[in-house]
Amino acid sequence: MQSIKAFAKAVAALPRAAVFTIGAFILLGLFAPYITPYDPNAQNLLMAGEGPSLAHWLGADHLGRDTLSRLIAAARTSLVGVCLVLLCAHSIGIVIGTIAGYRRGWTDEVLMRVVDVGQAIPSLIVSLAVIGIFGVSYWNMILALALAWWPSSARISRAVAVNVMNKPHMEALRVLGASPLRIYFVHLFPATLGAVLVYATADAGAVALAIATLSFLGLGIQPPTPEWGQMLVDALPYLEADPRQVILPGLTLTLAVVGFNILGEAVALNRVPKPLGARLVAARRRITASWATETRS
Amino acid sequence: MKAVLEVEHLVTSFPGVGRGKTVRAVNDVSIVLHSGEIVGLVGESGCGKSTLGRSIVGLEKPESGRVIFDGVDLGSLSGNRLRAARRAVQYVFQDPYASLNDRQTVGEAIDEALIIVGVASKAERSARIGQLLDQVGLASAVRDRFTRELSGGQRQRVAIARSLAVEPRVLICDEPVSALDLSIRAQVMNLFLDLRDQLGVACLFIAHDLALVRQAATRVYVMYLGKIVEGGGSDEVYGRPSHPYTQMLLASVPEADPMIERRRKIPLIKGEIPSPTNPPSGCFFRTRCPLAVGECARIEPPTIFLTPTHRIACRFANEIAQKSLTDA
Repeated sequence: MQSIKAFAKAVAALPRAAVFTIGAFILLGLFAPYITPYDPNAQNLLMAGEGPSLAHWLGADHLGRDTLSRLIAAARTSLVGVCLVLLCAHSIGIVIGTIAGYRRGWTDEVLMRVVDVGQAIPSLIVSLAVIGIFGVSYWNMILALALAWWPSSARISRAVAVNVMNKPHMEALRVLGASPLRIYFVHLFPATLGAVLVYATADAGAVALAIATLSFLGLGIQPPTPEWGQMLVDALPYLEADPRQVILPGLTLTLAVVGFNILGEAVALNRVPKPLGARLVAARRRITASWATETRS
Repeated sequence: MKAVLEVEHLVTSFPGVGRGKTVRAVNDVSIVLHSGEIVGLVGESGCGKSTLGRSIVGLEKPESGRVIFDGVDLGSLSGNRLRAARRAVQYVFQDPYASLNDRQTVGEAIDEALIIVGVASKAERSARIGQLLDQVGLASAVRDRFTRELSGGQRQRVAIARSLAVEPRVLICDEPVSALDLSIRAQVMNLFLDLRDQLGVACLFIAHDLALVRQAATRVYVMYLGKIVEGGGSDEVYGRPSHPYTQMLLASVPEADPMIERRRKIPLIKGEIPSPTNPPSGCFFRTRCPLAVGECARIEPPTIFLTPTHRIACRFANEIAQKSLTDA
């Protein structure tokens, strides 16, 4: 019993840990060029495979590049990549989703069947196909991942848009005779955007993992740009001789992905508009009050 | 008196449970509204009274029938002209917590309505907002408050002010006070009466509170399972209810005096309201009607006019009216 309680407490504290992890990730990513103790690409073969030391806190890789510097620089690569992919995917997704949610009817049917097809194909296969067609490059990787990710964004956007459109205050606008353009651009689009951006946080982890996966396969970010998946591949031949080289980038990647997932979930669950929150609390009080009267009678 | 809004043979359906099944929420309804009158629309939950109101303002798409505003069939218009014509018929929602955008201030909410009708100058809009707030009995100072900071009664007043901004001729009020505290109800009800007197707005007052409707409305329609079963002046319908359903509905209203109420025997309406997906043949009310005879299952009930204004969809209307006269 005690251990279960302790475990539950640890789980409850997870979002806070995730905030720190992701906060550190974003800060490191933003300020990478100023923080890295060494040039992440500077080779020093005399240092090759060197373990941790005072000068090189996390040691060096097989080419003698400082591991800490490379991990920090890789955070930046990953951060920029994730942002670009989410930006592209959600731009497409929100536009498609809100149009479907606004128009309904056959427009909705057609768009959602396209989304169904998109979602039915695993994202990695879509990305591989796109890279196979357009060739290996940074922007092709971003394009590939955006094309793999937009259907889920469109689906969420559509659900949010339908929900927004059915709210009485939107119906009131229709009764007032607001033009479709006003309803779409002034009310529907901003309201959907706000809600969908929250879901974007939950997706960030998966996108970070996908970038690492593609780089691991040699289809994403190319050497010598530091990237976690790339670092894993580089270190793979030394897995038995020096597992540190594999474990460090693997651990960082895991932390970032798990952090994003926990954070995304926490944000999605806590996101209740303020007055609604107050009303929920009031309703909850009424319910508990009724329990009290029931037990008395 | 000239009719400002006429609804003729309106039918509104929804897809029901099961393939190809539909629910006729509004089934061949015809009603009339004259300017400057408050008309009640009563009936139990699920009888289609809200759907009728929503169909009139275009929130639901009617399957057939006509909505005629000021002599113009709204079905013959489209696009901008339809929106402009519809604007004259406004809708007051039941829940003032949902019908206003939480992220807008009172001023912004009303301002938006004014922008929609094309009041261009900012100064003019600002003056009009003050005027509208005054009209619904709110202090001008609330315009900078967020709607979420207001009480239910205040929010409903803001919603009404917003509707009035487009200068409507008809207000469809869908249970406008049932979400409010009892003490606030009377105030908001009086507001509707004032608006009718000052602006000559016609009101279709949808409610399940029979006493409230009696107090406010000059005419009343009683709805059952998507059909109007009785309609007429308030005194006629309340004083001489001549459809069995209306009689039972009125009998279910509790007496204010507990001594009388305790002794009173209530002729309860037996059974559940039938599924509108699969309504009974002939008269829709026959499954719960104490007077039903075999004929009621075969033929739809005729519409009987007891007076030129008092209409009843029951073959026994004359007998019922006669009986209530001799009883009295």
